[in-house]
Amino acid sequence: MRVPEQSQAIVIYTGWERHALLGSDIRLSCSFFSWRWTSEDVTFSWTYRPDGSRDSISVFHYTGGMAYVDNKGPFRDRLEFVGNPARRDGSILLKNLDFSDNGTFTCDAKNPPDIVGRPSSVRLLVFEKVPIQAGVITGSIIGAVLGLLVLIVVIYYLMRFLVARRVFSLSVSKHGKKKKEGSQQRQGPVPPADPSKPVRRMAAGARSNQQQRTVVRKTEGVGGGGEEGPGRVLMTIELELTRKNGEKGPGGEGGMGRSAAPGFLSRLANQLTFK
Amino acid sequence: MLILLAAIFALHILGVILLLVATIDNAWWMTDTISTDVWARWILENGKWNYTDLPTGSHYPQDYLQAVQASSVLACIFSILGIFVFVAQLFTLDKGKRFTISGIFQLLACLCIMIAASIYTDRFHIDEKDGWYGHCFILAWIAFALTFISSIVYFVLRKKTA
Repeated sequence: MRVPEQSQAIVIYTGWERHALLGSDIRLSCSFFSWRWTSEDVTFSWTYRPDGSRDSISVFHYTGGMAYVDNKGPFRDRLEFVGNPARRDGSILLKNLDFSDNGTFTCDAKNPPDIVGRPSSVRLLVFEKVPIQAGVITGSIIGAVLGLLVLIVVIYYLMRFLVARRVFSLSVSKHGKKKKEGSQQRQGPVPPADPSKPVRRMAAGARSNQQQRTVVRKTEGVGGGGEEGPGRVLMTIELELTRKNGEKGPGGEGGMGRSAAPGFLSRLANQLTFK
Repeated sequence: MLILLAAIFALHILGVILLLVATIDNAWWMTDTISTDVWARWILENGKWNYTDLPTGSHYPQDYLQAVQASSVLACIFSILGIFVFVAQLFTLDKGKRFTISGIFQLLACLCIMIAASIYTDRFHIDEKDGWYGHCFILAWIAFALTFISSIVYFVLRKKTA
């Protein structure tokens, strides 16, 4: 492929706008695209135009393999070259920013014979405090509260689903006595429950529809090390899975509909009371 | 009994309407030429009202402003959800039970609008002498009272057992 002799356009990239805190450092990046190989005579130049002024001054120049930083102007001793010209990077580092550094920085790069191009500018804004973007706090508060609400609802329905499926059941009572019917499973020796410790029982509280009762009792005892014959009971876990009789609501549907008030809304309204 | 249901429902809807007006309309603080609020500011210039941004600065703290915005929006959301929850509970609640969840939603709405109005009262326009609180501010406090009463009603209301 024959490369045409005339130089083609070089495209320079910098940021569009940079925000920085007062007193901090900032790296202004500048890079370019060119169809040619990176030449040894590649040059980078940075110029600065303060906000509100129409003149720009030159603050940085890289040529012939050497970087020349500002030593007389507003950035003396504050500017440093951190780029890599061989990789087409002409970035500079500004240290210890002040409000007077607000302005526009323009980067111009030349890659001979590719010299036709448009310089690119980046605007620097120095803040005392990073401003809160409009609506960020609002949105996050609303989102967090609604998310919490959804989470609570999901957990509630999950618990109800698990209880209905008899994975486990929830009702905590302190050492009550319960009637047991049906099969019982025992493992190992069953010493009497330690009366000094309240036994925590999980008993069925779910509404379900049938009458069978199943009791599973697991007792864990520790086989003693030697002195006492039967092991000491550390914990008794009783799981009682109960299915209760299916029952309709007392009085069924006819309870309140019998009065002479017709209509769906009236029926609904008659269900309410304060007492 | 139908009147009771209608009254409860109307109270709730009234609360929702007041909350929506207080949140959406820009009139928490008014002067002769300014009607300002949590979202934007209306400035009267040459006989025309212009819609402008709220000022930023130390006398108008951005974070508190956004907190007021967020809690008033949340109050509206909770109250509107509360209506649907109440209707759902009307049909699905067991006999003898109370409308607790509807009450909780209304109580949350009451809490949120109280937070919004309190922050606004405490942090904004503290030293400004010429000016008065606009209708949105007043409606916000009235909505606080209404949602509170509404939530108490839901906590006391029950479905008959018979």
